[in-house]
Amino acid sequence: MEFTKLFSQSEVERVHEASLEILENVGMMVRNQKALAIFAKNGCQVDMETMMVKFPREVVEKARKTFVPTYTFTAQDPKFDVTMPGDRPIVVTGSSAPNIIDPETGEERRATSDDIANIAYLINELPGFDVFSISTLADDAPEGQFSLSRFYPALKNCKKPVRSNTPNMDDLKAVLDLGALIAGGEEEYRKRPFINHHYCPVVSPLTFDVESTEAVIYLLEEGLPVYGTIVPNAGMTSPLSLMGTLTLGNAEFLGLATLTQMIRPGAPMIYAVLSTVADMRTGAYAPGAIETGMLQMAHTEMARYYNIPSGGYIGLTNAHSNDAQSGYETGMNTTGALLAGADLFNMGGLLGSLMAFDFAKAVIDNEIALMLKRMKKGFEYSEENLCLDLITKVGPGGSYMDLDHTMKNMRTIAVLPKVATREMRRRWEDQGKPDAHSRAMKEAAKILSKPNKSRFSEELDAKVRSYFKGLVAGDAKWGI
Amino acid sequence: MSVQNIYDAVVEFNIDKVVSLVEAEIKIGTDVSEILSNGLISAMDEVGQRYSEGEFFVPEMLMAAKAMKAGLEVLKPLLSQGESEKKGTIIIGTVKGDLHDIGKNLVSMMMEGAGFEVYDLGVDVDTEKFLATAKEKNADVICMSALLTTTMPFMEVTVKAIREQGLSFKTMVGGAPVSEDFAKKIGADGWSTDAPGAVETARKLTAK
Repeated sequence: MEFTKLFSQSEVERVHEASLEILENVGMMVRNQKALAIFAKNGCQVDMETMMVKFPREVVEKARKTFVPTYTFTAQDPKFDVTMPGDRPIVVTGSSAPNIIDPETGEERRATSDDIANIAYLINELPGFDVFSISTLADDAPEGQFSLSRFYPALKNCKKPVRSNTPNMDDLKAVLDLGALIAGGEEEYRKRPFINHHYCPVVSPLTFDVESTEAVIYLLEEGLPVYGTIVPNAGMTSPLSLMGTLTLGNAEFLGLATLTQMIRPGAPMIYAVLSTVADMRTGAYAPGAIETGMLQMAHTEMARYYNIPSGGYIGLTNAHSNDAQSGYETGMNTTGALLAGADLFNMGGLLGSLMAFDFAKAVIDNEIALMLKRMKKGFEYSEENLCLDLITKVGPGGSYMDLDHTMKNMRTIAVLPKVATREMRRRWEDQGKPDAHSRAMKEAAKILSKPNKSRFSEELDAKVRSYFKGLVAGDAKWGI
Repeated sequence: MSVQNIYDAVVEFNIDKVVSLVEAEIKIGTDVSEILSNGLISAMDEVGQRYSEGEFFVPEMLMAAKAMKAGLEVLKPLLSQGESEKKGTIIIGTVKGDLHDIGKNLVSMMMEGAGFEVYDLGVDVDTEKFLATAKEKNADVICMSALLTTTMPFMEVTVKAIREQGLSFKTMVGGAPVSEDFAKKIGADGWSTDAPGAVETARKLTAK
């Protein structure tokens, strides 16, 4: 498959050059002391007082030399390990929404650890999803267990790679303790680190924050998996032009990549973004806008120039229900990104601009994910697939229905959707005119009303619960 | 009639014109509180109104607030002589762990535009700093902003601390992930979806 190209080679090179100019002449403000020291030690011009860091171009170019082309998400169960770019597209849930659409009432409410358990189980079962990024916060978290109340139900109910963030170092260390307990020791955990850490350490424009940067440095030093997403918002935190936002975001990515490679040369990275254009009428955040997809396509082209995996939060929606807007925003933006060659799609399950998880949205996004994977698989060009002999054999006026070839391919050549309807109108009316949302809720209920076979064993669960006193229950249960 | 010109210049977000018009009014002896109320503050009410109706975009509201603030700077030395009533004192900042401040800055400017005394503590502000400043400035309202969902809990920490210490400061919360339910749940006194709404809420909370 040839990827869509938006720029000529010289235009790509100019964006890179312009990014170097930004880093060298404007620089970045680095609010984390450890990061300042690392930049100073490795050839940047650092003003400890103003926290301003300027990057001579050779420092960035040196970092580029140790970029690696692959990134692996490790799972509790090795059969779910995925590596980019080979396994692209990697489809991930959207994460850290404070709310959930209650599956019973349809009303938005704060999400809990029980919701996370249900979501984790659902994502474990839906074949379109590769990675579970913990979709919501847990409002019922006991004091001091903000992150444990998210990671425990997630890891307990999902054997796919689990991804999320932590707000501070204490939480991060608690989560790593949980990982070691599950793995049967710290050493065992380090062999297969199945918690995949993600942060947004760069706050646009051109600023490294305190806490997330601290976590990123710690994880890199420990040799554990971590990557960051760059999040400029045109008109607010970056120029109100697509080129300006692409270039600023690219400079910010290079700043983070340089820090990463200074700490651990050869550390795998993802060129991940959520570059958006603000709705200037109100200042509203618009991740579902078509410009988000366009920016993702452009960033992906830059990532290909650097030969590293790319992607980000692509396929989000501003819609508050599973309506047409929700479908076209997720569908159009992910299609664009896929055609441009993006590897990672943080797209599943969230409505209202990352504010609320919805079970039906996750099921619909699973179907979109399967469509994207089908698109990526493409036409499988080969002499055999031209089917010249079959065409000759059947001839004009015949039928292909009863051929072995058809029997062989009928379950694999096309995506067989569970949400999209292909019924005749009359039958659909007889069924009560179910829309995509209600068909998707049915699929979710079908999965969640059965017991979770992938749950922790009782022994492991007892071990975890005796180590962390007062943990939330963390069990999937579906009462509808 | 020139106070009307100040009003117009704010609505047209012409900073230089606002400054020179305010200076001229002071020179001819116009009542300072007249300039403030009928020139600057009512112009910002108009700006907020036009924004709510979709006529003004956010950058226009921001530019108008800047123009208003420039005029206010000229008036300030005269106001501190007690010629104008104080609308109330606001402490505002982005909570600990969070560096996102665009929305907060806009609210801060609109609050100033409405005549409040505003102390903007910037970003990554912890409970101690909110409370210490509020005590020092004898504040009426503490306004907290967050963009990251993971930093929202710090708002509750501050609200709790105010209760526990028996302090009388009112609290307002805002930022993209903050909802009315969340505000109620943590016991905040006020909440708004946007900057003009925040000004309205602050007015209600400080009404004497």
